[in-house]
Amino acid sequence: MKFKISQSYLEATARQRIGFIVDKGSFKEIAPPSEKPASPHLDMFNIPKSFGDGVIIGEAEINGRPVSILAQEGKFMGGAFGEVHSARITGLLRRSLNTKPDAVVCLWDSGGVRLQEANAGEIGVTEIMGAIFDLKATGIPVIAAVGGSCGCFGGAGIITGCCDYVIASEEARIGISGPEVIETTMGVDAFDSRDRALVWRTTGGKNRYLFGFVKELVENCPEEFRSAICSAMAKSFKYSLKNLEAMQEHLQERADKFGSMDNTFDIWKEMGFNSPEAIPEMTVAELKSTVQAGGEK
Amino acid sequence: MILKELLGKLFPAGYELKTDGSIVTGTAVCSGEKIALIGTTDHSLIGIEEIMKLSKSFLEIIKNNPQMPILMLVDNDGQRMALREELLGLPQYIGHLASVQDFARRNGHKVISLIYGNAIAGGFIAFGMEVQTRIYAVEGANPSVMNLPAISRVTKLPLEKLEELSKTIPVFTPGCSNFYKMGGLIEIWKDDLAKCLSSAFADYSNNDSRAELGFERGGRTETSKTINAIINA
Repeated sequence: MKFKISQSYLEATARQRIGFIVDKGSFKEIAPPSEKPASPHLDMFNIPKSFGDGVIIGEAEINGRPVSILAQEGKFMGGAFGEVHSARITGLLRRSLNTKPDAVVCLWDSGGVRLQEANAGEIGVTEIMGAIFDLKATGIPVIAAVGGSCGCFGGAGIITGCCDYVIASEEARIGISGPEVIETTMGVDAFDSRDRALVWRTTGGKNRYLFGFVKELVENCPEEFRSAICSAMAKSFKYSLKNLEAMQEHLQERADKFGSMDNTFDIWKEMGFNSPEAIPEMTVAELKSTVQAGGEK
Repeated sequence: MILKELLGKLFPAGYELKTDGSIVTGTAVCSGEKIALIGTTDHSLIGIEEIMKLSKSFLEIIKNNPQMPILMLVDNDGQRMALREELLGLPQYIGHLASVQDFARRNGHKVISLIYGNAIAGGFIAFGMEVQTRIYAVEGANPSVMNLPAISRVTKLPLEKLEELSKTIPVFTPGCSNFYKMGGLIEIWKDDLAKCLSSAFADYSNNDSRAELGFERGGRTETSKTINAIINA
């Protein structure tokens, strides 16, 4: 059974994705085209610039509730964090501390730090993380959605790991070091990047969902992303010592239980799935019903 | 600088240190106040095990020693690049380690990060940079995102061109002086490290002023004005 796909979230642009998620006509972009800065660091490399430096930011409503929203454009330099790109995101997050929306919705799609601006991008990533923690401490939920072709790698992966709630499609790959980087650095025996099935199984949304990193798995379908964001907005999150201690225990348990395994099939088997090799072919609905029927999540 | 030499200079009156693989924890006295030490040695890689030990140390201090200042001793060669770390979900582990550092800071612990060796890429973000403002380095330390040959490989930009640009452009070039210009380091410490440390704790602030520092020093001219324009839009 294959899910009927109306439109593809994966292939949409950043602007289209915002259109999918927010109430019709409610999006107010911050910094209109005439005021949108571009990167000052790309001319020296003869790289074309983009107004807004590859990220759209603004305010909107979802089911009538106010949100701040951003969308990275993966088609511009892989959605990478350059100086202006990062500053625009930090600006929106810090602004949200004052405007106090019901949620901050982040549509991430990024390969990580932009190497042409590596130092600015790296510092920028941590400025974003700091602003996310400020929001969490204030009780404003930070919701991440991942389903673009760049996934979330490097600094983008880490930022996703700081958000309150992560929604992803199976196509969303989330990691730190891309398989090509691992292979180049550590050798093909460490990670064969040509084995695309291995790459997808390892970093793809299903594995992240089964481990509980991704809280809600959706099909590559705009309506499902929107409805998952609506459900996430009904939840509350507490940034507390108790929750951090619980997370410490959870992550330690995961490492103890699965840390000796070198592929997802062994891990999924250990989680309680009788036919782990069937998981890559399952629809999201099939996977969820298998999880409910007894496979561990 | 090796850890023993660094600690000798920081704490001439002595310190206590436990070593567990490449992770160190301990205590020392700075300006008459007891402080906690959490760090890594020997250009450690930051993988799952290292993260779990580091985050556990932070949580224990938050729980058992309220308000105790914390000095992070930073020396790492980046995140551990391995299939295993990626399988288990390294981003979530690093996010957790960043959260506990943030939580300590937010709950009355002064947290200072001191780079005394390398601090590279995801390892730098995980352990070194996520204390927002209070990041220092001793002279000769090496903060870096990626070395120039690797940047050249990934971006397909010619190495000669990167090397030429790196002489004057701090935005992509590794090293203390470049991170300083970007506002990514508050100060580079040269002499009398003990005195530098006690002034750093005395001047402590939780505000993230790195964008303003980057502007003043000419390395990041766009960040602070972009952030402020959006806040005030």
